[in-house]
Amino acid sequence: MKKNILYTFLILLQFSCAKEFTELAPISDRSIQSAYKTATDFEVAVNGTYDALQLSGTYGKYYLVLNEMRSDNVYNGGGSGGIASTLEDIDLFKEIATATELSTSWADSYKGIARCNIILDKIDQSTVTDALKKRYKGEALYIRSLLYYNLAVIFGNIPMQLTYATAVDLTQVPASQIYDQIIKDLIIAEPLLPAKYTLATDVGRVTTGAVTTLLGKVYLTKGDKANAAIALNKVVTSKSYSLVTDYAKLWGAANENGVESIFEVQFKTGGQGEGSGYLEYFAAVLGRSGGAGGGNASMPVTPDMLAAYTSGDLRYTKSIYKNNKLPDTTYVTKYLSTQTTSFDGDNNWVVSRYADVLLMLAEAVGEGTEGYGYINQVRARAGLAAISAATPGTYTEKLLAERRVEFAFENQRWQDLLRLGAAKTVMAKFLSIPTTSVRLVYPIPQKEIDVSNGKIVQNTF
Amino acid sequence: MEKKLHFPNVKFLMKIVRTMKIATFLFLISIQLSAKNFAQQKISLNAQNTNILTVFKQIENQSSYRFFYSNDVLPVNKAISAQFKDAEVDLVLNKILAGLDVRWKILDEKNIVISNNIMSTSNYADSRSMMLADSVITGTVFAAEDGTLLKGVVVLVKGTSIKTATDESGRYQLKIPNLKVTLVYSYVGYTNQEVVPSRYNAFDVRLKLNTKALDDVIVVGYGKQKRREVTGAIASISESQLKEIAVSSFENAIQGKVAGLEISVPSGEPGSAPVIRIRGSASISAGNDPLYVIDGLPISSNTGLQQNIGQRTEAYTVPKMSPFTTINPNDIQSIEVLKDASAAGIYGSRGSNGVIIVTTKKGIKNKKQVSFTGYTGYQDATNLPKLMNSEQLIAYTKDARNNNYLQTNDPTNPLSKTYNASYDPNTNAGRPTATATFLIPEKYVNWDGTNTDWLGLVLSRGKVSNYNVSVSGGKDNLTYYTSAGYYSEQGSIAGSKFDRYTFRTTVIDDISKKLQVGSSLNVAFTDNNRLPANGPYFALPPGIIYDAMVSSPVAKPYLADGTINQTDNQNQWGAYMTTNNNPLATMAAIKENIKNLRVFGNVFAKYNILEDLSFKTYLGIDLDNYQQSYYKGVTLLYRGAAKGDPFAKSSSAQGLNWIWENTLDYSKKVNDHSFALLAGYTAQKQNNELQWIQANSFPDDQVKTISGGIVTGGSAQKEQWTLVSGLARMNYSYKDKYLVSGTIRSDKSSRFGIGNQTGVFPSVSAGWRIDEESFMKNLSFINELKLRTSYGLTGNFQIPNYGAIGLLGNANYIFGNNITTGIGSSTLNNDKLSWESKKQLDIGLDFALFNDRIYGGLDYYRSLTSNLLLNVTVPSSSGFTTALTNIGEVENKGIEFSISTKNIIGKFQWSTDFNISANKNKVLKLGPTGDPILSVGSAGDIRHITRIGDAVGSYYGYQVVGVYQTQDQINAAPKDMLVGAGGARPGDLQFKDVNGDNLITAADRTVLGNYMPDYTYGITNKFRYNNFDLSVFVQGVEGREILNLTQRHLLNGEANLNSYAEFLNRWISATQPGNGKIPRADSNSGLHGYNMRPSSFQVEDGSYVRLRNVTLGYEFPIPKITKKARVYVTATNLFIWSKYLGFNPEVQQQATNNLVPGEDYGAYPISRTFLLGFNLTF
Repeated sequence: MKKNILYTFLILLQFSCAKEFTELAPISDRSIQSAYKTATDFEVAVNGTYDALQLSGTYGKYYLVLNEMRSDNVYNGGGSGGIASTLEDIDLFKEIATATELSTSWADSYKGIARCNIILDKIDQSTVTDALKKRYKGEALYIRSLLYYNLAVIFGNIPMQLTYATAVDLTQVPASQIYDQIIKDLIIAEPLLPAKYTLATDVGRVTTGAVTTLLGKVYLTKGDKANAAIALNKVVTSKSYSLVTDYAKLWGAANENGVESIFEVQFKTGGQGEGSGYLEYFAAVLGRSGGAGGGNASMPVTPDMLAAYTSGDLRYTKSIYKNNKLPDTTYVTKYLSTQTTSFDGDNNWVVSRYADVLLMLAEAVGEGTEGYGYINQVRARAGLAAISAATPGTYTEKLLAERRVEFAFENQRWQDLLRLGAAKTVMAKFLSIPTTSVRLVYPIPQKEIDVSNGKIVQNTF
Repeated sequence: MEKKLHFPNVKFLMKIVRTMKIATFLFLISIQLSAKNFAQQKISLNAQNTNILTVFKQIENQSSYRFFYSNDVLPVNKAISAQFKDAEVDLVLNKILAGLDVRWKILDEKNIVISNNIMSTSNYADSRSMMLADSVITGTVFAAEDGTLLKGVVVLVKGTSIKTATDESGRYQLKIPNLKVTLVYSYVGYTNQEVVPSRYNAFDVRLKLNTKALDDVIVVGYGKQKRREVTGAIASISESQLKEIAVSSFENAIQGKVAGLEISVPSGEPGSAPVIRIRGSASISAGNDPLYVIDGLPISSNTGLQQNIGQRTEAYTVPKMSPFTTINPNDIQSIEVLKDASAAGIYGSRGSNGVIIVTTKKGIKNKKQVSFTGYTGYQDATNLPKLMNSEQLIAYTKDARNNNYLQTNDPTNPLSKTYNASYDPNTNAGRPTATATFLIPEKYVNWDGTNTDWLGLVLSRGKVSNYNVSVSGGKDNLTYYTSAGYYSEQGSIAGSKFDRYTFRTTVIDDISKKLQVGSSLNVAFTDNNRLPANGPYFALPPGIIYDAMVSSPVAKPYLADGTINQTDNQNQWGAYMTTNNNPLATMAAIKENIKNLRVFGNVFAKYNILEDLSFKTYLGIDLDNYQQSYYKGVTLLYRGAAKGDPFAKSSSAQGLNWIWENTLDYSKKVNDHSFALLAGYTAQKQNNELQWIQANSFPDDQVKTISGGIVTGGSAQKEQWTLVSGLARMNYSYKDKYLVSGTIRSDKSSRFGIGNQTGVFPSVSAGWRIDEESFMKNLSFINELKLRTSYGLTGNFQIPNYGAIGLLGNANYIFGNNITTGIGSSTLNNDKLSWESKKQLDIGLDFALFNDRIYGGLDYYRSLTSNLLLNVTVPSSSGFTTALTNIGEVENKGIEFSISTKNIIGKFQWSTDFNISANKNKVLKLGPTGDPILSVGSAGDIRHITRIGDAVGSYYGYQVVGVYQTQDQINAAPKDMLVGAGGARPGDLQFKDVNGDNLITAADRTVLGNYMPDYTYGITNKFRYNNFDLSVFVQGVEGREILNLTQRHLLNGEANLNSYAEFLNRWISATQPGNGKIPRADSNSGLHGYNMRPSSFQVEDGSYVRLRNVTLGYEFPIPKITKKARVYVTATNLFIWSKYLGFNPEVQQQATNNLVPGEDYGAYPISRTFLLGFNLTF
């Protein structure tokens, strides 16, 4: 009893004057309680969704490792020991579920998705003007779709979280269901966004063309060629984009966000944490040494890739440097950059460019004059003769070959192989392994399975 | 490099010695004596081979004579032989004292005085006139400890009522009936002393403090208590124990002195912070540091104000500076360590890691004192590891390359595809050049005789010195203490240097009988030049020590033109050599400085409302300011880079902590019942502000500050925490025999979730003073025997300031080629987040035996920390990977024993202090599912595990069984799924199949030990003979393991850099199997036996015994000018006995990360220090 009186006394004493004294809000960080109310809040929140595309789990690094390095275009340069051994595993379809590349990719993708979700949840109750509301929703929907598209390609069967919540729904849905959702979202987003931004300071934001292009890609991935053709045709007829005359002018800081560019993840050098590491990944030999494991995850060009170029293809020398001296030096030249510190390059990552629209359209319309027409537009720039039905090989083979060299080291190859059903045969042949060893999806990170209490199940291969 | 012992004060000391001689003389002639006529008495004696003293004794026995002399004058031990029969005393003395430089006089029938020749006749005349009446004795009474003159000492002639007291200057004058009386000197707090004034030096007396330990008053939370009434587990360290070891921070001085207080010094860098744990580590994610209360101001170590400005990643961060270097150990009066829930409970949500109370010195009324202390000396790195020399390294490198080549190539079999007629184990002849692991560096094939001792180049002798002056005293109602100090320490790596300047003032005024006010102010400034000595050689900036260890002795430190060699060392040699840095280049290129200005103090007023009731209001303030700068010069070619990468960072931080405390104190004794009550209300707030800015692209090294380069980043941060608390304590005792105490504190802290900000922390304790019971009265040898127990709840609030709030971090992006602000969630909101709570039971026994000649204590405790703060993994589809949650439970239990004995007392004294403590740490619950936490240490692989049933942060990996000797053994062993394509060979390590599935897989990883010691102990032996004192302090740790990550390079068998000499014991062949522990050399073990996987091979025994300190002092006899004068020599870390391969068996790479303790990834060596010092009190 006495004790209770004492307790009460002590506590009363505190509450009498302490409420404001101890309820402190952070000073140098925004908090969830104070954010997502005003137009400025949403502006910076939307900017933050783009930032998710720079993370090492997304386009910053591991989307490249899990797509481009997986393919026959490059292999890992890390060797078999230490940190780089997981990279070799990925290269050889032997990755294990605890690999950092997988867990980081998963976590960072969902981190971006959560940033989009909270905007979509809260923007309707905000004081943001209608015009901006539209744009912000459109941007958030596109970025969420782009992240989900990558997640679906990489892991297949994943949870689909569309609202901001700490108690998450862990039900796994198949990739096709993800694609359906993406299609739904992108159709909503399409009219919300401008074809072009008037202000120079908005260069890099999502346009309606970017939305339509991704929509076309997702239709294709789903196998809905008719709708893909409609979407992609819209991009062509918009006349917003055209091919850059010189393939080499697609690369380098000076040529970023050019006429062919549809959507790029923006990076900038200067020690502000906004630089990219593509120089280190693709041209480690030119990279600056920096810290332990300096140029790790470097991705040397495979001989198979070199052989994929036909003679006279202008793209070869504009994509790859190769000397024939000893020791042999070969590296990708698409991501050269002048930078003072490691992993602080100026190169953007090209997610979509007009050549992709043309070649996807060729894929959507199928073999025929129209299809070859699109392919030949791309070949013409590469200085190559037109092809036709008479050219040896199946249409799919020709498309794949064209896409491989056009988009070499641009994260397209592995997805192309998957979409066009060639992954198993091509990779088995490339690695001299049985087709059964070629995995079409990655293992779900073990950590996610562990923490889900059995709700999330591992992929079968 | 300074080789000479530098001691500038020799001259000064000589002066003091001379002064003292004169003082002795003055003292002697001041003896007030007189004489009158008398008849001489006859003496008979037969002295053979005896001394003067004995003869005098015989004369005194036969007659009424008493001899008066000083030992300084008369060599009483001089051997003599003499024979007398009924001789006049004149004759006897003439004979005995013949040839001695003395004069003597028989003053009367009682007194014979002997003096030196300088004494003038006029003095004799004076003496005589004084002695005409009764004998008058005058003298002075000093405190033995510090020579203070004691006022008010009662001097009583035993058995009579004749007495007097000493005056202001400690002097007294007393008429005595004769010189055969016994005088009793008594003074409060001091031991009574009885003196028969017939002996030399009888008139000046040194009184000793009453050393009955259990009568001491010790400082507890919010008050003081008599030790014998204490019911909690509290250890007290006195000023004298702090003085022994010369260190920058008091924490270092108390290592090994207190049972249950584990202090480890992971880095020997001047000023670096030790790791302090009271009764083990209870927390996994929150802090394990105790709470510090400095003169009533509770502060956390708050190392967050020091920023990581040196480019290093989190795992390689250089250790923090100790924030307590700003407290001058000379100003400390006592340190109390509150260990159990009862003692620490009054600090509520901050008490669960224990509390260290530091109390500084105050002035004492009528005890004016000026003291000047100082020491100076030097220190050298100690316990250096044995590394290979060039010859050994070359042989080993060839072995590694050959083994690698031979694993896949058989040059000896002409039928084999890889037959190689020109194979030569000593050259590269005929080896494929494409495979670097097959190749021997050309520098090794054609060795030019270079044999560089890299460690020797990096390490050098550093000077240490310290000077303090303090003035204290008091008059009437006012006391004061004021001091100034300077401390300077050069590290054993040239260029690292720590300087401290301290000032302190305390004034207390009793304005009236009712009102007392006081204030104290401490101002300290430290200036520390740091070098990146800690961390691996590949960290940025590189770890200097590690670099010196891995550098090949075949490389030259300097090029022919005298510049530092960065272009012709193993970086450039190819042949699978690992790139590192020339440590001399790092030392030259890095400039790092941290300055700390700290001002803290308090004002208080205490009002006695009633006789038994007082009110105290206390305002404390702590202002902490850090300025840091870092510069990496253009000259450093990092790991063989062709070009430097200059970088500068500059930062500052300010912390302001204020506290306002109001307490009511009530104490009452009614018959046999004693009560003491305390109630209080406190509010505290901490404001932190941190800024930093960085720059790159310096064209050269002319300007080393930010302005010399191009600014590339910066940040400014502010944060706060607040705490309001109510507290109460009641102590009750019945007949001073049965003691009960209860404390309660309620804390409301801003750090916790909005829905959960208030916590209540109660504790109770009880004590039974068995010795007070009547049935114990017969056991007179027991002076004290007290049984005590306590139980209570405390908390740990060391969590991030805004840990409960969902924070949004910067998520910037580029639009229009410009950086644009963006944000994104960084942490999850958790309104329920709260303190970790710890329940602790303590049972203890205090005892004192045989007149306090033996006293000590024994404690058993068990604590359970629950609501453990964990960064729990959550499904990433939430957008977060982890969330800070209160889930988990850790147990610590242990015993502590300490004993102090006075083995020999008297003229030769010997006393011993011994303490030992054992603690066992165990995780009981973890997260929602109990899943173990696997932690990646500094080396990038999983090497630690925190799991139920084991200690927090245990080492985790494969267990080594031994070294395979034959192929048959390999064939018979479980198949190792981790070895590379080449497979294991004889000489490779065999790993244990823990789960018995006949395969070695990841499932066979197991716990391999942990950093927490089984027990720690310290033993101090003190000897005193006449004016000499000697103290020997040994301290040790048993049952600690260290994860020696330096083995990954220095014992990896790959020979891609230098190696520990230990690898000479490797398996070379079936006929040269080595010591059975070290595997074979193989330049690509990863592809073959994979010997370097995380395993017990890298876990080493970190037990040690250390001769921590030896001090030999000499105290000058009572001089006139100084009250006390002592000179001493002291040596710290004289020897260490340890099997550990590296420098320091206390090393911890990430001392603040509880999940990965005990890693050695290169550290600043510990030093051995030799000092010469003095204490002077006026």
